This record gives sequence, C-alpha cells and structure tokens, in this order.
Amino acid sequence: MDYSILLAQAALNGLVIGAMYMLMAVGFTLVFGIMRVVNFAHGEFYMLGAFTAFFTYVYWEMPFVVCLVIAAVTVGILGMLIERTLIQPFRSDEMSGMIATLAISVIIQNGAVLLWGPSPRAMPDIVTGTLAIGPFSFPWSRLVVIVAAALIFVAFWLFMQRTRLGRAMRAVAQDTETALLQGIRVNYIYPLAFGLSVALAALAGALMGPVFSVSPFVGLTPMLKAFVVVILGGLGSVPGAVVGGLLLGMIESFTATIFGSLVSDVLQLLLVILILLVRPAGLLGQREA
Amino acid sequence: MRGFLKVALLSSVFAVSSYAAEAETLKLGVLATLSGAGTAWGIAMQGAAELAAEDVNSKGGLEVGGKKYQVEVIAYDDHYKAADALTAFNRLVFDDGVKYVVGPLGSAPALALLPVSTENKVITMTMAFTPKALSAEYKYSLRPVIPSDVFSDPQIKWVVQKLGAKRVGGLFPNDESGQQVGAANEAAYQAVGAKFVAKEFFERERVDFVPLLTRVLAQNIDAFELDGNSPQTAGLLVKQLRELGFKGPIIRTGGDATADLLKIAGKEATENVYVHQPINSELASIQEYTKRFETKYKVPLNAFSPFFYANVQMLFAGMQKAGTVTDVDKVREAVLGLKDFDTVLGKVNWIGQAQWKSNQQLDAPFYVALLKGGEAHVVAKCTPAVCE
Repeated sequence: MDYSILLAQAALNGLVIGAMYMLMAVGFTLVFGIMRVVNFAHGEFYMLGAFTAFFTYVYWEMPFVVCLVIAAVTVGILGMLIERTLIQPFRSDEMSGMIATLAISVIIQNGAVLLWGPSPRAMPDIVTGTLAIGPFSFPWSRLVVIVAAALIFVAFWLFMQRTRLGRAMRAVAQDTETALLQGIRVNYIYPLAFGLSVALAALAGALMGPVFSVSPFVGLTPMLKAFVVVILGGLGSVPGAVVGGLLLGMIESFTATIFGSLVSDVLQLLLVILILLVRPAGLLGQREA
Repeated sequence: MRGFLKVALLSSVFAVSSYAAEAETLKLGVLATLSGAGTAWGIAMQGAAELAAEDVNSKGGLEVGGKKYQVEVIAYDDHYKAADALTAFNRLVFDDGVKYVVGPLGSAPALALLPVSTENKVITMTMAFTPKALSAEYKYSLRPVIPSDVFSDPQIKWVVQKLGAKRVGGLFPNDESGQQVGAANEAAYQAVGAKFVAKEFFERERVDFVPLLTRVLAQNIDAFELDGNSPQTAGLLVKQLRELGFKGPIIRTGGDATADLLKIAGKEATENVYVHQPINSELASIQEYTKRFETKYKVPLNAFSPFFYANVQMLFAGMQKAGTVTDVDKVREAVLGLKDFDTVLGKVNWIGQAQWKSNQQLDAPFYVALLKGGEAHVVAKCTPAVCE
C-alpha cells in the first residue's frame, strides 16, 4: 500500500473517530459547564441512542434521519426526567451528584443487558459503497458520519448562540447567581441542558451504530475518550471539546496506524498526563479563579 | 368384544410388567454446562446422550450379553466451573453408580476430574480442547470433538496451497489466549511456506479496527486470518477489511463463526471467506439429526452434538462387542477397537498415538467451506493429515 494512501486512510478514520469523540465531549462538557456535574452515565446515553436507532432503523425500517431525531428526542426526554428526579436532589453536593450518575450508569447498562441481552447486534450500513478519488477509496458509511456530526454540531452551536434558551444556558454556565438575578429560571435550565447533553451522546451512538455494532457495552470506550477529550480541550469549554475530540481522533488513528494499537493507547494516556502537567486547564479551558 | 379387550389389556399389562422385571438399567451420566454461558454446548451434549438412549430404548433396550438394558440418562450441571464439575462427577460416580459419562465440557473441569475418573475407571467423553485431556495415563478419557491443534494444520495447508497465499496478516486479542493463537498461526503458516507478515494485537473492547487493518494492509498481504477472535469481532474485522478495499481471501481457521460473520458483515463482504466447518450440513444424516434435535430441544443444533451422539453409539456398540456393561476395561478396549464405524458424521476411527501416546481421539472428517451468497458451501473434506 502506498504511503500516501496509508496517511489518507488514517486521516479519514481520525476524522470519523474524532467526530464521534467531539459529539460525546461537547455534551459531557456542557453539563459540567452548566451544572458542575461529571456525568459518568454519559456513555450509557450513547448506548441508548445506538439501540434506539437500531430498533427504529432495523425493525421499523424508518429513514435514518428520522431514526436520529427519534434517538435524540427520546433519550433527551429521558435525560431530563433523570436530571429532575435523580440528579437535582444532589445539586448542592457535587460529589453525591457524581456518585448518583455512576449508579445511573450501572442501572442503565444492566437494564440494557436484561432487556436486550449482552450480544452485539449488527446494524446495516446507511449507505454502501466507496468514494474513489484517484488511488484513494473512502467508504461512504464513514464519510456520512463526518458530515452528519458536522451538521449536528453546527445546529447545536447556532442553538447556543442564537436562541434565548441557548443564551440562558451560557449565562448559567458563566455565573448562576447573576443569571438568576437576570430572571433566568435555573431550575428549568438544568434539566434542559442535561437533556441536550445526553441527546448529543445519543446522536453520536446512533451515528456510530451502523459503523460498529450495538450492544449494552458500547458506551464504555466513548465515555472514557470523552474524559480524555475534555482534559485535552479544557473542562467546560465547548470549543475545547471540538478541538480536543478531533485532535484525539487524529492522534489515535495516526499512532495506531503507524505504531500499532498498544503503543497508540500508551501515547494517548501519556498525552493526557503531559497536558495535566503543562496546562492543567486544557488547551482552551480557563483557569478557575 | 368388551371381554376380549379386557383380556388383551390384562395380558399386555402382564407382558410389560414381566418385561420390566427382566430389563436392567444402564446409567449414562451427562456432566456439562446446563446454565449460563456455555449452555448451548451443554444442551448439545445432553441431547446427544438422550437421543442415543432414545434410539435403544425405543427398540426395547440395549442387548448386551443376552440381557436387555434400558438406558437412563442422569444429567448434572457443572456451571462451567472445575469445583462444581468435580462435585457433580463425584455424585454421578459414587451416589448414582455411573460408569460412563458424556462430559466434562471445559478444559478446567476436565483437568480437575481426570485423576478421579482414572482411579475409579469411569469412561468420559470430553469436549475439553486442552492437549492434556488425553494421555496414556488417563486411559478412560475419550474425546469425540476435533480440537484446533488437530484441524488447524491440514486446513491451513490446504488453504495456502489452494489460494497460493504467500503473505498473510492477522489481528489477535492482546491476552494469553490471543498471543498463543497468534504464535500458533504464525508457525502453522510458516510450516507450509507462507509468511505471517503482519501480526497485530488489540484490547478486546476495541471495535474500530481500521487503523490496525490499514497497518496490516500496508504489508501487501494476500490473505487475512481471523483465528483467535470471537465471532462478533471476526464479523467486524471482515466488514472493516472490505470497507478498506481488501478483496483477497479471508480465512477463519478457528471455531464456528459463520452465523455472526454473515450477520455482522453481510452477504457481500463475506464472499471469498473460507471457514472451518466441524460438520457437513449438506449430508443427509446430519440433516436428519439436526431435524430430530431441533424438534425435541427447540434450539438450533450446535455442531458438536453429532460428535457426542456418535461417541455414545460407539460406546453401546463396544458394550455389545465386549458382552458386558460392568467391566469398563473390556468395554474401553472394544470401543477403541472399532474401525470405520458408521455414524451420523460418516465413518470414524480413533487416533492420537503419535500425539498423546494413545488412540483416544475420535477421527471424523471435518470441512473447509467457502461463503457464497450468504451460505457456507463445503469445498474440502479434511482428515488430521490432509484436506482434499
């Protein structure tokens, strides 16, 4: 295989993985920015999104775009309900809130095993075939993920920048008390932000379902990577999550292609340690006062 | 008319009770995993024993040395654990008085109870793949299924010769099992003139193999080996290999994974994939057995079941030849003396002298199949020596 083809494949795969990490990390960092909660159940919402897409696409044979909307809406509503009932009571106690999310993670994952069994389920590709450009050949199924993730992020960004609700969420993230003084109803913002965050995770899961497979355990790796991404980009920083996600995807893809899987894993974790030592707030994060 | 019926009924009851008084019972133990992971194998073994017992019981019993024996199957669950297997085995041998056992299933249970079965002269029919399950020392341990160290060499040789593959690549899980399979594959391919040019290891939770496969494909491989990977991982590997544009042959030397390969990778991607097949499902005898098994147990047939069914049939034939069910040494000798014995698998023999210093391994044909149009088509019939 030609060296240029090798690098092109690595770049494409880095973009696909990076796009998934970006969607995961944006939601993850959003919740932390607004609610100061590290959501350990974030990966389980990714898994629920993947299963929702699986059932609607494979069994109900709906168009994939509709499946994505259903996954985002149903998981988003579930997230809002969970925030209202299980996370809100611990709002004044961050540590208990985090432990609650850990418990939610275990409950959702084991519930999925009981309901749908532990075996992975194959999901057919949304599109088949490859895009051939000269000597390069890129599978459409992966290109679709990149485009869809970019569109989802643009929609999210516009929502945060241009809508009253988005501005209210940013205000709460910047200073909760001042936001309250401005008449923003924080008690409504919290579940909405949590719902939006897990809806992004669900979209990531739904997009990746056809690329990999769907099982109750698929959320674990994206969750761990989301942690790495927010450390890389800066906890609470949405631009940091985008940069961090794409950067981690690229690093993972290129190092695995050049050095192999084991060296790649080591290098990624070394990078995290290095960032923590040199720039504890992350690449685009702000130091806490 | 009514009086005639009464007489007929009474005489038939008398006949049955007098027959019951004459018939003796032959107990056949089953020691297998009947709950949790591995249940499919356990049911395959239990079903084989019960169907073989049904065969002889439906004909009035097994006739040995002028006596008729009704075969009673006693099955215990070993939970796939060595300690539980030993407890259940002790119960079979010392409480139930069983001398012939279908099982144990796993390697750890087999190794745990081999000293007990040897000391107490109990014939076991194991599924354990460990090479330590058979030896001249453990003379009552028989193995009806063909383990990977028997089938991989001839299969790899055939595939390499047929495909003309010189450069082979593969991905293996980064644990003891994956490392061992990787090393064994490398040696097996090199022994037949092919070179394992790309061998990568990965953590088992990985689902994105594209970077690693890109790395493997950069070595210009002719064929890709899937051995050592779970059926689901093997399916993902096939799918992602084809996405990367690899059109060459893919080989599955290890255990049966055809259903998952087709489910995950789809019909198109699984074209030009060669898989190991323990049985030939196109054989009429296998189709008949499959129908019978699936009707009774309402689960898909596991390919190992016919091997145990064949072994129990050989046991019964051995008892008849030896003229005893109580002298285990004579029965063992008679069973191992059976040659070209006709079974549901075809004609079978016993081998193993070279490898284990004792012929306790069933020698049944196994197959290489090519996946085409979403179905496995047998393309070679193999013996431990050669595939043709």
